[in-house]
Amino acid sequence: MKCAIEAKDLCYTYEDGTTALDHVSFFAEEGCVTGILGSNGAGKSTLFLNLNGVLTPAGGEVLLDGEKVSYTRQGLTELRRKVGIVFQDPDDQLFSADVYRDVSFGPVNLGLPEDEVRRRVESALELTGISDLRGKPTHALSYGQKKRAAIAGVAAMQPRVMILDEPTAGLDPQGVSDIMKLLKKLRSELGMTIILATHDMDIVPLYCDRVFLLSGGKMLRSGTPEEVFSDPEELRRNHLRLPRIAHLMEVLSDRDGVDVDRSAATISAARREILRLLQEETDA
Amino acid sequence: MGTDRYAYMSRLRMADPVPKIWFSLAVLIVCLMCDSIAVGVFTLIVMAALTASLGGQKVKTVLRFLRVPLAFLVIGCVTIVFRPIGEGADALWSVRLFSRWTWGITPEWLAVGAGVFFKALGAVSAMYFLSLNTPVADIVMALERMHVPKLMTELMELIYRFIFVLSDAAARIRTAQESRLGYTGFRRSIDSLGLLSSVVFLRAWKRSDRVWSALESRGCSGALRTLPQEYSSGARLYVLMCAVCAAQLAVLAAERWLLH
Repeated sequence: MKCAIEAKDLCYTYEDGTTALDHVSFFAEEGCVTGILGSNGAGKSTLFLNLNGVLTPAGGEVLLDGEKVSYTRQGLTELRRKVGIVFQDPDDQLFSADVYRDVSFGPVNLGLPEDEVRRRVESALELTGISDLRGKPTHALSYGQKKRAAIAGVAAMQPRVMILDEPTAGLDPQGVSDIMKLLKKLRSELGMTIILATHDMDIVPLYCDRVFLLSGGKMLRSGTPEEVFSDPEELRRNHLRLPRIAHLMEVLSDRDGVDVDRSAATISAARREILRLLQEETDA
Repeated sequence: MGTDRYAYMSRLRMADPVPKIWFSLAVLIVCLMCDSIAVGVFTLIVMAALTASLGGQKVKTVLRFLRVPLAFLVIGCVTIVFRPIGEGADALWSVRLFSRWTWGITPEWLAVGAGVFFKALGAVSAMYFLSLNTPVADIVMALERMHVPKLMTELMELIYRFIFVLSDAAARIRTAQESRLGYTGFRRSIDSLGLLSSVVFLRAWKRSDRVWSALESRGCSGALRTLPQEYSSGARLYVLMCAVCAAQLAVLAAERWLLH
């Protein structure tokens, strides 16, 4: 296993004295989708800003490709080139009234020559499916389109790690599945490592290879989605829940005494289980 | 913003904004300097026609925008034309007010009023050529190329963008207040409006922090450098600029020649 980015014993305290991160350790395997589960105020955003060098940790360290990040001007530029953040509210990120110019901002800051910037902007617009919106003003875009423009702005920098804060919040079901497909494409076509914070539990078993459970600034647990979902009480204590399908399996198993695999959290896994049970029934 | 929506649909949208600015500015300045009714009317018609033909805006749209300043202009010009006049002055029409003052309209002041009216409308028409064919974002970018200080253009760019974000927020808060009867009665309306302004201010304050984080995470090093789309050359606008300005001066000369 190769870690694209890693945090060891990260601590961060805000100016007003609130501890946002308390010895948090975290890693994201290269080419994988890593989820961070946590309720509001768990410290997800603070962790992200630390991973990208906008905030400097008070303790612990961030490792990029196994090397310790240096907080010099050069080190930070390098870090931001390799690690991009897509913020939750696209209105926080889109600062220009012109979509094309907003997407060009990151590549220009990387100091790339003009034709390379244009090439990257084109491919980012293409990738996120907003090529036809390039001439539109930012304020005329729908929420989902703004979200895509924000992703394009980060994708144009061609980072190795893309961090997304609640990428599905506020989108309609079609929008959610479009964005998640886009993230899969980023991973498979460009080999990007994806880190996403979410409390949309239903997408976790579908898209995440590994999840971390963050609460009150502490990392409580990490593992595959199945491992983390094996302790539903812990999730509930932290204002989260099981995916609906996994919850159904839990109820079937606990209340109805049906012998189902409780780790089945997706429709396809549940389908396999139901078919298996039906088969057993007919066999018996 | 009213004109911006149309600017994005203009056929001149992708033309280089710098010549568009110079063109509008030159025509505007000549129109103001000539100080003549004929040049005012000429500028009004030509620039409106160019907005419609070159920019591809509907004539109806152009006329609708030209109507916007009309109310101010009419009020302004009426106060110039209708004024106190001396006894026995050569008035087209006059009236005695409170049997003490005579107010009326004289040919001289009528000419002054009409001059101001058409000069202003011509100037407005020249500015509409710019604003109905160039989005604000492009104008700001062009100003930067024309060596306006970067601090100012960056502020303009951010302010323009966040006007929309904040007015959206304000509209949502207002709806939330209205749905809970926040605007029934004068006193309550004032209270609610005060609350709304303070909340919008606080949100802007908090947002500025997040915007800065977002800019920093994309490698911002203090300056907002971006690359605009590739513009088509606007060189023919310079030719057009010379032609229109020459025509304005010709109209001025013709007017002088006909009057004397």
